[in-house]
Amino acid sequence: MSIPDATAATTASETAEAKSVLEMRGVSKSFSGRGVLDRLNFSVPAGTVVGLLGKNGAGKTTLLRCALGLARPDYGAVNLLGESAWNLSAAAKQHLGYVPQSPQLYPWMQVKHVIAYTASFYLHWNRTLVENLVERWEIPSARRTGTLSVGELQKLALVLALGHEPELLVLDEPVAALDPTARREFLKVVLEIAAGGNRTVIFSTHITSDLERVADRVAVLQRGRIEYFGELGDLKDQVKRLSITSPNALPERIALPGLLRQRVEGRQALVTTRALTPGLVEQIETEWQATVEVQDLNLEEIFLELHEDA
Amino acid sequence: MAADFLFQVFPNSGLPLYRQISDQVRRHVASSRLAPGDFLPSVRQVALELQVNPMTVSKAYSLLERDGVVELARGQGMRVAQRNGAGDNVVERQERLVPAVEQLLAEAYQLSLTPRQVQSLVARIIKEREAR
Repeated sequence: MSIPDATAATTASETAEAKSVLEMRGVSKSFSGRGVLDRLNFSVPAGTVVGLLGKNGAGKTTLLRCALGLARPDYGAVNLLGESAWNLSAAAKQHLGYVPQSPQLYPWMQVKHVIAYTASFYLHWNRTLVENLVERWEIPSARRTGTLSVGELQKLALVLALGHEPELLVLDEPVAALDPTARREFLKVVLEIAAGGNRTVIFSTHITSDLERVADRVAVLQRGRIEYFGELGDLKDQVKRLSITSPNALPERIALPGLLRQRVEGRQALVTTRALTPGLVEQIETEWQATVEVQDLNLEEIFLELHEDA
Repeated sequence: MAADFLFQVFPNSGLPLYRQISDQVRRHVASSRLAPGDFLPSVRQVALELQVNPMTVSKAYSLLERDGVVELARGQGMRVAQRNGAGDNVVERQERLVPAVEQLLAEAYQLSLTPRQVQSLVARIIKEREAR
């Protein structure tokens, strides 16, 4: 796979904002009375790599299935590639790639036949790319897919989703079954897609370390809604742990904007905020005559803090 | 110049990747490992070398451009900014302020002010000046 040179990449983020490939508005979905998505809004700009984070059972798969028109929301609207997701045209599907959590392929067919069969559905199919990936990922092409391991099956499903070089690639826990080498290889492929500039990738995961390198945006799904959506760098800039030391006893609860968690013990406090500003630190310092030490948090720590109740 | 030679990133650190990259460029410029006129490796090169999203690299470069550390040479990429009218680039001019800052910190120490308190004082004064 060759990578177009991105010397103009400085402006890529600005132009990418222009168009959304996915737009979800007020989407609610419940299964036998159990609410999963709750009036969820989510809009994904073209050309971004979005990591969708959420705990097990948070509803990541449901969100992606609603996004793709594979599940029908109880309420709300989903717009995908400019069309209603539920009534997606065959033409729009040509530009869509999807790998579900447990890919279902045709167990009686050989790998090479599954590839040829899938290719026949698409107007555009990059055979060289597919052959390269099959070789790189050591997928045994003469084997029946029913005899493949979970990891091999996931790699094959990825290849099938990449063959037609989709405009939007949606991956549900794409690396769950991959070993570290295959995972690294997979992330490399996603980065190559990202370097192209105008293709969009949405992938769900609960493994934060995969997200750190590859995603430029992160969406946090919590309580049925997207609680945070923004650049990964901005998230790290805004969510901070403050270690506060005051000469006087601190109040039991410290009121702060964007407070996620706090632990106050006498003259010391450890608080996490999701809205750090230079003014905030100053404010705490004057109010409590305190010294404040700002601690950086990595994505895993941020994820844990976001899931703590203050 | 090979990108891996110039940069190193730690994705699991709490410091955003774009800051890690821009900080490293600043340091290389301050230490003259990068001289005015030197080109930075392309966004794509750095992204593939470090295995990070190209947007991250491009954000770091934009930040450096905004601060005048590097400049965009049309069609050629980013190069370390030439010494401008004031004599040196931003980092070097900052270096010249170091003695004054040391003096400030010494006096702050005498007044039992913590570094953080000094920082917020400086921030406040800057804000007040900007408001004028």
